[in-house]
Amino acid sequence: MDKKELLKNIQDLASQKEITKEEIISAFENGARLDNGRGDVAPQKGISHILYYIGGAVVFLGISVLIWQHWTALNGSTKILSTLGAGIAAYITAVFLSRDERLEFVGRAFYFISALAMPLGLHVTFYVAGFDTGSLGIQSIVSGILLTTFLLSYFVERKTVFALFNIIFGVWLFFAFTGFLVGSRPGFGWEFSAYRVLCIGASLSLIGYYFTETSHRSLTGALYGFGVFCFLGAALALGDWKPHQNAFWELVFPGLIFGVMFLSVYLKSKSFLTFGSLYLIAYIFKITGEYFADSLGWPLVLVLTGLGLIAIGYLHFNLKRKYLS
Amino acid sequence: MGSKKNISLLIGIAIPILMIVLIALSIYLPSFFAPAPQFNFLYVTEDNYGQNFQFGVENGVLVKREVKYPEHYIPKESRLFIHDVIKNTDREITFEDARKLKLDSRLKSPDGYEVVYGSTDYGFFPFFYGGHDYNAMYLKGHNTSKKLDLQASTDGRYYYRNRRFLGWIR
Repeated sequence: MDKKELLKNIQDLASQKEITKEEIISAFENGARLDNGRGDVAPQKGISHILYYIGGAVVFLGISVLIWQHWTALNGSTKILSTLGAGIAAYITAVFLSRDERLEFVGRAFYFISALAMPLGLHVTFYVAGFDTGSLGIQSIVSGILLTTFLLSYFVERKTVFALFNIIFGVWLFFAFTGFLVGSRPGFGWEFSAYRVLCIGASLSLIGYYFTETSHRSLTGALYGFGVFCFLGAALALGDWKPHQNAFWELVFPGLIFGVMFLSVYLKSKSFLTFGSLYLIAYIFKITGEYFADSLGWPLVLVLTGLGLIAIGYLHFNLKRKYLS
Repeated sequence: MGSKKNISLLIGIAIPILMIVLIALSIYLPSFFAPAPQFNFLYVTEDNYGQNFQFGVENGVLVKREVKYPEHYIPKESRLFIHDVIKNTDREITFEDARKLKLDSRLKSPDGYEVVYGSTDYGFFPFFYGGHDYNAMYLKGHNTSKKLDLQASTDGRYYYRNRRFLGWIR
């Protein structure tokens, strides 16, 4: 959101009496005070933030490699200590670092380390305790513990890193738990997986939309991207292929595509437009290959598909230029 | 924040929760209304090399056939089991005792149940995942399915899915 948009939003909210002058002044003063407090060591956006997270990932990688290299030499408690212990230690460190405004971004990197190390630590703990960590029951328990931990953390401090990992652990719990409920039951084939992905796609997009006006708006782009990728991917897969095609999904899919493209303008989302265009291309390839390759002949089908791609490219370019630039 | 956005969060969280509830209901609800299975069944764990089945049912009686294996090939021994569908337990039985049983080799039992392997769902491109037990067998019927605790078919056998249903015990 740029300055013009922000001022216009303030105007709108003021006209609707949803915000007061005092609230605006208070927010301004808080921001100014925060900036002064940070002084010379104020965290620089961009590369330094990325480096914090890359550093966190490298630390996690180091822990993983250490465990992998010395797996046979380490005893059970040492394995747990160096994985789960490291995760908990990183979390506690992050809590203390976050208390100091100057070190808040370093604290986030430590939360990141804990979010990566804790799943590994829980897996190692369950493995040492003699459980099958590959089973969906254990996966549900591990993801449930992690989700609870990070959800409680989020309620205490509404940090974006918690929101991100709540979503990741929530998605993991959803797939693991539904898989655990169903097991290998007959009647739950790949379509069941497709419906699960469809649900998650819709869910991620909706959460991304909610985040647009919160402090977690940095997650919106990624959530829209993953959400629409999963949603349209599952819908396309549910159409299946001749002779097992599902007429409902094959007929509904173009409607979904154009719905997503329309939403891309409304939401100003490049992810929606890009994935909408890509899935439209995939759909044209699928339908022509499925129904017209035999009747029209492959060369003619290729010509028509090529023309379709040019049309999609033109549509994509114009929508992007007109509404999203 | 607009209430429209709050609704989007609520729906976003509600969709997966609702799906979990629906899945649980679709699995567990029909089992309350389904009649209890009445017929135990006989099955065999066997070396299914080349689909050469040693045991079969002819005229409602278990028969043993001569199976020709390749030279130098040592087949694993076949074992016969009676499965109690109420207790979900197995009892091993000899061929001599098993041939005294009156068997119905139709896939569906007279009370509408059948013994089937579970689904082999790997997911779909690019959403693949594991965690399924491909040797699991289920008693399926009346919109329900119940996992059967059968003799493991992978212990010392050459191929997976080498349990075979032979017949319902009348």
